[in-house]
Amino acid sequence: MTDRDDLPDVNGYSRASVLISAVVGLAVAGLSLFWAQGFRVGYESLYRVNPSVEGGGIGSDWVFGNTIPALDFLIALIHAADVIMGAFILVMVFIHWAAFQRLAGQMRDPGEDVSEAVAADGGSPTGGDGQGGDSA
Amino acid sequence: MSNLDHGKFTRVTTLFHSLLGLDVFLLFFTGYAIMFNDELWWMLTLMGGASGVTAIHRITGIGLVALVVFWITLQLISSTGRSNFSKILPAKDDIDAFIQDIQFVLGRADERHPSARQFAGYKADEVPLLSYIGKGVVAIFSIELTLLAISGLLIWSKTGLAAMFQTKAAAMAFVTFHGLLGVIMLMGVMFHVFEHGMHPAFYPVETKAFIPRSMVPEHHSEDDEEPDTTGIERLSLSPSWRSVSTIFGAMTVIGIVSVLIGSIFDEGYPVPRELAIGGGPSSILLTIGINLGMVVLGVGLVLSMYGNVLRIRWEQQLEEEREPPAAADGGEPQTDGGQPESDDTEN
Repeated sequence: MTDRDDLPDVNGYSRASVLISAVVGLAVAGLSLFWAQGFRVGYESLYRVNPSVEGGGIGSDWVFGNTIPALDFLIALIHAADVIMGAFILVMVFIHWAAFQRLAGQMRDPGEDVSEAVAADGGSPTGGDGQGGDSA
Repeated sequence: MSNLDHGKFTRVTTLFHSLLGLDVFLLFFTGYAIMFNDELWWMLTLMGGASGVTAIHRITGIGLVALVVFWITLQLISSTGRSNFSKILPAKDDIDAFIQDIQFVLGRADERHPSARQFAGYKADEVPLLSYIGKGVVAIFSIELTLLAISGLLIWSKTGLAAMFQTKAAAMAFVTFHGLLGVIMLMGVMFHVFEHGMHPAFYPVETKAFIPRSMVPEHHSEDDEEPDTTGIERLSLSPSWRSVSTIFGAMTVIGIVSVLIGSIFDEGYPVPRELAIGGGPSSILLTIGINLGMVVLGVGLVLSMYGNVLRIRWEQQLEEEREPPAAADGGEPQTDGGQPESDDTEN
């Protein structure tokens, strides 16, 4: 009998699956690293952090900006996705915020009689350390 | 019933969640210190300036590639992963759960739908592997992390990028694209931290994603009667919940709105699409808002660590409960609890 036999059954991942996946993950990460920068130690210098030239202003090769329409479209598209998803995420925040308020209303208030209460964190309901709703 | 509630994730999943969280938080802190450098100048400086930040971003980026490939491989080669695939796909229950959440907020439903319920309590058997929000998080994060890893590697490999884009400005625009791509996930993670940190029954952190289901006790009532409620009414609210959840909720909303506005104006570093250097209006409010967003992420990082601390504490408690009481001197605990009455004791 192992030390976990008394715990609920778990249909987890086998050790072999986890090991193989870890090896594959690390191998692909290593290959990606090799593809991106070879065996050079170190990193590129500030290639994209050089906006100005002598006398101020921007470098001459920036003047035309981005002239690839497809890329321009992609950026506009991702802006739109950001705004739409941002608005949706805000709606979800507000729904959950309001739902939490209602759920809190169903719970016992901190000062309420707790003779039958159960501490939210499994501790003593009269412990009162302010963690996880187990205060008196 | 306890804060542990209905753990459904395996040890591998909970460990993966913690590692991915740590990696993504570091990628956010470094990546958006670059993109929002006007507002997060202190963060850029704190992490070693542009060189230090880009170095950390790349190291954690490689970590992300390893984690993403690990997870995809595991889901493909393991029967558990393959059998769970159908459980992460959207279903009608998820739409019902969303609608019922709105009804619950408006007072037109008595409880949240099982596919929305975070606190399951006595009704744990009704709750699926992932809530509708959980499915959305998995879907958005899967798409975003894959696209971010690929576009990030392209940016890293200058030859790869130069093959696609002939000018520096075009290459820069692709960097902008990479930054904008992560904004959805940045906002999503802020919501994720709020959702799992501020639930009144779990405050300050929901441990489901940290404590594996193998360590969560299962409770079955002795009678077969279906419980009427989840039992949340038996829990006591933490005294600090109202004030902390209000402040943190406001910070989450301000953070999301600010990074969204910032992403529209500060769209490129150092050169935005329209070549308007400076990243748009320099606003003190935007600066405060984006910094608040980073504080929300920082709280998420701390809560992730705290979740693991709780797991370790719970693990120790389980070990103590499992072990029979040992005699202090290593003797038989069945005797008098410390002084074995064996033959070899000194008389």
